[in-house]
Amino acid sequence: MDKTVENKQGLGSLLIGKFGVILGLVVLCAIFSVLSEAFRTPGNLRNILIQAGTNSIIAAGMTFVVLAAGIDLSVGSIVALSSVLGASIMKSTGNVALGIAVALAVGIVLGLVNGVIVAYLDFPPFIVTLSTMWLYRGSAYVFTNGQAIVNLPDGNMALALGRFLGIPYIVWLIILVYIVCFIVLSRMTFGRKVYAVGDNAESARLSGINVRAVKAIVFTISGFLAALGGIILMSRLNSGQPIAGQSFEMTAIAAAVIGGTSLTKGGVGSIGGTLIGALFISALMNGLIILNVSAFWQQVVMGIVVLIAIGIDRYRKSLSS
Amino acid sequence: MSTHNGKPLLEISHVNKQYPGVKALDDVSLSMHSGEVMAMLGENGAGKSTLMKVLSGAISRDSGDILLDGRPLPMDNTPLTARAFGIAIIYQELSLLPQLDVAENIFLTHEPTVLGKFIDYKKMHAMARTQLDKLEAHDIDTHAKVETLSLPERQLVEIAKALAVDCKVIIMDEPTTSLTWEETDHLFEMVRRLKKQNVAVVYISHRMDEVFQISDTIAVMRDGRLIDKIPTESTDSVKVVELMTGKLLEHRDRRPEDCKVIYDDAHVIMEVKDATDGKKIKNASFKVYANEVLGFAGLVGAQRTELARAIFGADKLVRGEVSVSGRKIFNRSPKDSIKNRIGYLSENRKEEGLNLGMTLEENVVLIDMSKVSSRGYLSRSKIREIFDTYKQSTRIKGTAKQLVSSLSGGNQQKVVISKWLHSGCGLLIFDEPTRGIDVAAKAEIYQIIRRFAEEQMAAIVISSDVRELADVCDRVLVMSRGEIVHEILPDGISQENILHSIVNKGGKKNG
Repeated sequence: MDKTVENKQGLGSLLIGKFGVILGLVVLCAIFSVLSEAFRTPGNLRNILIQAGTNSIIAAGMTFVVLAAGIDLSVGSIVALSSVLGASIMKSTGNVALGIAVALAVGIVLGLVNGVIVAYLDFPPFIVTLSTMWLYRGSAYVFTNGQAIVNLPDGNMALALGRFLGIPYIVWLIILVYIVCFIVLSRMTFGRKVYAVGDNAESARLSGINVRAVKAIVFTISGFLAALGGIILMSRLNSGQPIAGQSFEMTAIAAAVIGGTSLTKGGVGSIGGTLIGALFISALMNGLIILNVSAFWQQVVMGIVVLIAIGIDRYRKSLSS
Repeated sequence: MSTHNGKPLLEISHVNKQYPGVKALDDVSLSMHSGEVMAMLGENGAGKSTLMKVLSGAISRDSGDILLDGRPLPMDNTPLTARAFGIAIIYQELSLLPQLDVAENIFLTHEPTVLGKFIDYKKMHAMARTQLDKLEAHDIDTHAKVETLSLPERQLVEIAKALAVDCKVIIMDEPTTSLTWEETDHLFEMVRRLKKQNVAVVYISHRMDEVFQISDTIAVMRDGRLIDKIPTESTDSVKVVELMTGKLLEHRDRRPEDCKVIYDDAHVIMEVKDATDGKKIKNASFKVYANEVLGFAGLVGAQRTELARAIFGADKLVRGEVSVSGRKIFNRSPKDSIKNRIGYLSENRKEEGLNLGMTLEENVVLIDMSKVSSRGYLSRSKIREIFDTYKQSTRIKGTAKQLVSSLSGGNQQKVVISKWLHSGCGLLIFDEPTRGIDVAAKAEIYQIIRRFAEEQMAAIVISSDVRELADVCDRVLVMSRGEIVHEILPDGISQENILHSIVNKGGKKNG
């Protein structure tokens, strides 16, 4: 019973710490709601959440990597390669579950490859994942000969279309992923190790933490969650596409950064912040589309938003020090 | 010979520098003549480095005048100003750019130019050649990249760089730390040549034999004050050591009868045999006895930290073995060592000892989270419970949720100690446990170390502070250049004995 009280405090301080981002999200939604009636309908709210699906789940994995002072540029390519392999299994066997399992397994393996190269060969994460970004993407093109894999079994659409208690499966999936990630990062010993490695790897090593293993695992988690994000996309598009996930790594990094995770210093940030960041991006894109802002201008706005987020973060740090 | 008649070249008068809680320089006055080689001695924290940094413009002084050749050095002295005045400093860590060639390094920021903008490489190399030849460094190619040079060659280049602008005072900060004996002889020749060119040399060193070999005068600092400056020929090492330690220390050395350790083979708790890392540590063998506090003394460059890190598994050994309670262990990593109950508290609290971005309680439980979790789930109440226990026993002034970075040095060190007390290790290696810590906290840390050794297996203390070693250790081993050269038994523990051993045994070729 003591525990519940403490949990509440933990969650409370988390919300206060991320209050700025939450406030930003609220203000953004308020502005769009005033400007457009279409924005403030329940149906559109659901859209925003569904559209946040893939990015928020990839960004959760990215948060693990960035907290451990790494970066994963290959997630977009993992989306492509895992989903085309999954789709091809689905198509040839007619078994949706098997296809999903294969896609997830591929994600784990690709993430592990990143992790092992970074952790055990001591290559810089940026370079390693820049290379595998091409490598994985290229493999997806080679495997499909550049063609989308279509005519998937009907069951594939279930994830995108299904609902439980009136809430889409995709939203449930986001909730599930974030609860698990939250528990792992802030309630489990492994989470402490991720923060410790990101904050100061040498100190962590001298404290008896297996730094290499931690690094390998966070990349594996990122690979797995990228594949999971890919499955959502595959379900929504009802196809496996080698061009899927282009520049998803950037949106995922943006979600983490808007949510207060630091790219320059490991061990700073939280999974809750990333969720808010992902929702913020989704709401922003949705609102701009509803207001008929051109796709070109959307990118301009996105760039400005990330800069503002970093600026606010800097300001907050200068206040605390 | 130095010219003690005539006007002094450098006159420092009544210089003060205050740091929070410490008077780093306390009314220091000192003068030097052209061509004088002055050795600067003092324990760690005595103020030598601070004074040299004030001179070279790395830090500014609070008050006091400095005259060079009669010209006053401005209060807001910067490295550039100091260079323009003719003061050059050669740090232990050389400041050359390894990717540039020798000539580029020597003339960095004041390259000879054509039309004011384009570097005249031909002229620059010719000028570099002249500078190096003056130092009789004929073998060094001005086109060679600095990274291809040996350490003494780099020192020569550094000195040539200093001389390239009209240089009147050269400060050398422990220049022989990483040099071999032969290389040291070369350096001494160099210093004599500088002397002939009427350059004043400030030579900071702990090595007594070197000091007597090379210097004209010896200046001794202690607690931020200049204690004395004396001609080298009129003193000896005993007198200098006395000046360094001071006679009126509020301190009681550990007495032989305080030592309860039983020195026989049945009480050996750890044995290190023939530890060699192939680089710095040579055949280090020693035993640690049950409930003993064993000290490691030595100069900078004695490789005590390297030995400790290798035993702990933070760095690799190429040869040798470590056994605990008679059982041979293979420490491949810090993780293995901790499993074998050996812990290491790094001398670099901030870089290696703590996770500054994490809270106090997170740091304390970091090594052993098994006691505060089940199946990987952390219990917040148990973490808090453990933290509160250590907060009380080590008297940390701070709260559980505070970031460690916001604590003072003393409290940070207590967090490090709590972390290792919680680790379950029975033998802890304390590397410079009180560096940068105020006196009150020091006394508390000594108590913790003594209590730990008496209640657990044993403790090892590496320290550059002889007072500290004399205060807490039952026995002291002296290291020099990677070897254990001397042992001081419980009946010989005293500040004087330890310091003598360090400067004499640690400084001679056949210790």
